[in-house]
Amino acid sequence: MTPALEISHLRKVYRSGTVAVEDVSLTIQPGDFFGFLGPNGAGKSTTIHCITGISNPTSGTIRIFGVDAVADYRQARKLVGLSPQEFNVDPFANARNIVDWMGGYFGMRSAERKKRVDMLIERFELVPHAGKPFRELSGGLKRRVILARAMVNDPKLLILDEPTAGVDVELRMDLWRYLQELNRDGTTILLTSHYLEEIERLCKTIAIVAKGRIVRNGPKEEFFTEPGGLEKAYLAATGKAADHVAVGA
Amino acid sequence: MEINWIGLWTMVRREIQRLARVPIQAVVAPLISALLFIFIFGFVVGGRIKNFGHFSYLEFVLPGVVMMNVVSASFLQATSQIYFQRFQKSIEEILVSPLSYVEMIGGTVSIVILRSVFTALGILVIGTIFGAVHLQSLPEFLFWVVFVSMIFGFLGIIVALWAKTFEQLNVLMVFFIQPLSMVGGVFNTIGMLPPWLRWLAYGNPLFYFINGLRHSMIGFTEGPATFGAAFTVVLAAVLGAIVWRLYAIGWGLRE
Repeated sequence: MTPALEISHLRKVYRSGTVAVEDVSLTIQPGDFFGFLGPNGAGKSTTIHCITGISNPTSGTIRIFGVDAVADYRQARKLVGLSPQEFNVDPFANARNIVDWMGGYFGMRSAERKKRVDMLIERFELVPHAGKPFRELSGGLKRRVILARAMVNDPKLLILDEPTAGVDVELRMDLWRYLQELNRDGTTILLTSHYLEEIERLCKTIAIVAKGRIVRNGPKEEFFTEPGGLEKAYLAATGKAADHVAVGA
Repeated sequence: MEINWIGLWTMVRREIQRLARVPIQAVVAPLISALLFIFIFGFVVGGRIKNFGHFSYLEFVLPGVVMMNVVSASFLQATSQIYFQRFQKSIEEILVSPLSYVEMIGGTVSIVILRSVFTALGILVIGTIFGAVHLQSLPEFLFWVVFVSMIFGFLGIIVALWAKTFEQLNVLMVFFIQPLSMVGGVFNTIGMLPPWLRWLAYGNPLFYFINGLRHSMIGFTEGPATFGAAFTVVLAAVLGAIVWRLYAIGWGLRE
């Protein structure tokens, strides 16, 4: 079966000389719910930027459902939806327009787009806020708009970069339910998060990245059969276990 | 290659909605500026200049005023659109979309052309009030407005991709475009310049743009019209190719 995402020896060096991703290789199977864990600056967001076209990879290959994300970028982009960590929108535009424009960029026809935008606005409880400028929304509402925008093209691969950072418990729980529904319906999801509980609850496969390399990768069960579970495995894999023990002592 | 027309139209639609939020800056300011130029240089000063061939001074000046505003509108449109999108990071919405580089550039330049044509037609309406509008050839007039706005749209994109600060956006406009506009024959014929200064006019691309537009309006030309048109098309094509290359390598766009 063609993997949903196949990254081979990805390396990203910024113009400043900073090596953000040293050597990342991973494969995500269709239908997987993939957790991508790592400390700040480990290379998670840069990897996502390379997958989605926000950054140019320095070397390595990225294939999305078999389509090369660099050579055949238009085809590859059609398959992906991205909810980035930062709010990358026009702050003066209203919520409905933000979602609608993204549908337009993906070539969705007006009627189809309206139906989809209406559904997402309702699904994310944005109806009373749809006409308000983005900058006037609360942090949680802004996050909902970004999530609705990521899903407007009904992507086969949904990439969520810390989607629940700064949102209230209610939205977090609601989003978890919705993501599980989407995943059950066949959407492959790549999720980064600093909440281990979130990864534990949602993901089927987990990869841990540290200093630009994948240091651990496997089915969720592998991590939970170990003493200390995911937290201990995470700290050990990222080289933080010793510090953790020292602080604890 | 299949063209994403809906994506292209969305880029235009989005920018029209943004411009609708700043109507004074986008629409009113260039028209008031043109009105003042026409009134002072054409009407007040021009009223005292009687001997200007077959035309009134206002008729002679009007094409230059149109061209100055087309240049300014197209450059400012491209720089503000791209730079603000970079600044807000909303350019990432375009980068993650299935739009080709040609479509990304085409969407930006389409709105540049629309804004320039709208500005040019608005000035013609004002000129009509002063009884100074002659339009010898509408297709030729549109050729000059469209190609010159493409040129300054491409230049605006390049500057917006290069700029790291708002200050840098103005460098090309203040130090090159505006001075070259002024010495490009807006207010005077090249024949009025001392001979040793005429080479400056013939070496100035703005002269060919103004001269070409003036020919389309009142039929007056001081330079080789065909050369001017060919030069303009080639310059637009070269700048377009440079912008395409910059998009392809992600210069100023992708980290």
